[in-house]
Amino acid sequence: MSCAIAFEHVTHRYLHAVAVDDVSLRVEPGETVALIGPSGCGKSTLLKLAAGLVWPQQGTVFVTDRALAPDNLLEIRHRIGYVIQSGGLFPHMSAVDNVTLAARFLKRDRQWIAERVAELAELVQLPRDALDRFPNNLSGGQRQRVSLMRALMLDPAVLLLDEPLGALDPMVRHGLQEDLRRLFQRLRKSVLLVTHDMAEAAFFSQNIVLMREGKVVQRGSYRDLIDAPAEQFVSDFVKAQRGLHAEALDA
Amino acid sequence: MPESHCRLLHLVLTVAMLSFSSVASAATTIIGSKAFTESVILGELATQLTEEAGFDAEHRRQLGGTRVLWSALIRGDIQCYPEYTGTLRTEIFSSENIRNDAELRQALAREKIWTSTSLGFNNTYVLGMRRDRAAELGIARMSQLADHPTLRFGFSNEFMERADGWPGIRAHYRLPQQDVRGLSHDLAYRGLESRSLDLTDLYSTDAEIVHYDLTTLVDDAGFFPVYDAIILCRDDVPGPIRESLNRLGGRIDEMTMTKMNARAALDREPEAQIAASFLRDRMNVSAEAKVQSRTARIWQRTREHLAMVGISLGLAVLVAVPLGIVAFYRRGVGRVVFAIADILQTLPALALLVFLIPWLGIGYAPAIVALFLYSVLPILRNTHTGLADIPRDLRESAEALGLPRIARLRYVELPLAARSMLAGVRTAAVINVGTATLGALIGAGGYGQPILTGIRLDDTNLILEGAVPAALLALLVQWVFGWLEHRWVAAK
Repeated sequence: MSCAIAFEHVTHRYLHAVAVDDVSLRVEPGETVALIGPSGCGKSTLLKLAAGLVWPQQGTVFVTDRALAPDNLLEIRHRIGYVIQSGGLFPHMSAVDNVTLAARFLKRDRQWIAERVAELAELVQLPRDALDRFPNNLSGGQRQRVSLMRALMLDPAVLLLDEPLGALDPMVRHGLQEDLRRLFQRLRKSVLLVTHDMAEAAFFSQNIVLMREGKVVQRGSYRDLIDAPAEQFVSDFVKAQRGLHAEALDA
Repeated sequence: MPESHCRLLHLVLTVAMLSFSSVASAATTIIGSKAFTESVILGELATQLTEEAGFDAEHRRQLGGTRVLWSALIRGDIQCYPEYTGTLRTEIFSSENIRNDAELRQALAREKIWTSTSLGFNNTYVLGMRRDRAAELGIARMSQLADHPTLRFGFSNEFMERADGWPGIRAHYRLPQQDVRGLSHDLAYRGLESRSLDLTDLYSTDAEIVHYDLTTLVDDAGFFPVYDAIILCRDDVPGPIRESLNRLGGRIDEMTMTKMNARAALDREPEAQIAASFLRDRMNVSAEAKVQSRTARIWQRTREHLAMVGISLGLAVLVAVPLGIVAFYRRGVGRVVFAIADILQTLPALALLVFLIPWLGIGYAPAIVALFLYSVLPILRNTHTGLADIPRDLRESAEALGLPRIARLRYVELPLAARSMLAGVRTAAVINVGTATLGALIGAGGYGQPILTGIRLDDTNLILEGAVPAALLALLVQWVFGWLEHRWVAAK
């Protein structure tokens, strides 16, 4: 078996609730999978399980074919890029220091770091002068671009994106969606993307995984979810997501 | 608290103790004195005589009461100090029922303490009258009071109650007076002056005897206990020093001591100068009065104060920051650490200093340890809070980068907690500047020294000489930390 990310019968409980309930899921190399579902369905927890930020009580998480364990965690994390809704940039470091922190810690060659930064800035279309600014002096869109650069710095095989565009206003969001999709196609990374927006999920991926109460309800393309819903909840969720658009158009 | 932390704390305390016990090198003879004017003058005399014998001497002034001086002497923090035979009998050897001076000397010798010959005066209770009134009635001795039943007596409240006060005198001398009032000492002097009182209680060497021109009555039936002034030294003090101190034997009578007290208390003459002029005029010793200029004095106090605050604060940062980090990551340890720190914080500063004396002696060491203990909690708490307040997503972002815990701490978490930690250090520093004024009570000097002397001499200028720089230093500390915060933390 060769896979980028695999969950095998993974269960994670918080103190009072089950967040992820016996989930098995695979992301093939180069594939983009969109995780979607209502709030609290366990999609962010699944992402944290893949990054080793929380540990499953049952089951195993594989990243690039290796089972996550405390002793290989740091090494495996260097093969993972993780981006969250707020960007998670360290406010006491300039953008470029945020981007290069891990590389500097790993004592990568200075020249290599400088070239990599220039390359990534171009890739995510970040103006050069933004690199020297502190996160508080960047726009929301710029912050997410910097966060993406940081995630890509060590050229990871896997990208874990937790609502990366969720905090942006619609215009900026739309522009970034286009840029991101182009970037995924060009880099051929394996991507696990969490979103709560069905249109965004459909825009990024033919592989949409719909979750509810810690379980995977259905996996398939947007069309599959509409045409062959696994259960009533799938139709309800799709309908609710389309609701306002459709009503506005119908009116 | 795990053993390793205990050991670390112990190590830090030991280092602090060692570095300060070595300040006074073995070659210098340290003379102590109690916190009242007469003791300071006698301490100054002993210091100048020690120097006259060719030894280096240092006078640690107004260290406190009998207990503090005695334990400092036994521990060897000081080598000599002036004392009174009656005090030794009633406070130090109270359980031994010592009847005379010879037995007292033997008891002291058992503690390896050498006793000088009596200096020549007995500072005990006496009864005093206006000189003119006593002459008019022809009274010179206490037994003669029985012949004047209408005299008006005014005694200090304590004297009214004590067995060795008025009740004892009345029984011993069979005194008939009815008009006897308890009142404050200051009022009693004024009562004598305005002739509304005829007689009051005094210490036999009180400066007021000179000031109000009083005459003291002879205790002809031997009622009051004897408080002969002597100088105590550890018996390892070199022979030449003891010989030099013994030259004071029998040289200071009550009136001489009273006049010296008056020069200090009423004329505000520096004690060192009073002692030097006594040695010059009465004993033909050309002693040197080391009277500092006001600037030199303030500068010395500033150095002492800064040393106490700086060293205790530095040690506290070294201990409290790692402890705060451990307390954050190991919740069990954290609970124990905070429980201990909270208790320490609630101890009154004065009580803590006194508790530390038997363990650390007097001087810098207990002052620094006390200030250190007070600094730990604010820094500890703010380190913990700073770390706990880091948003979860930043913490997880750092983890997801694949940085090991120590690197996350170094590059992300500590810098993010820095503002809170700095605020903790600032709080501790400001508290320390104020609390360090208490250091003077146990011989550590600092701005508390002029405050203490000012209180003793009722000299507002002296009090301000300590209080104003202490307040300014606290403001300066606030300002410096504000600047640091602005410069290092807020800019980012």
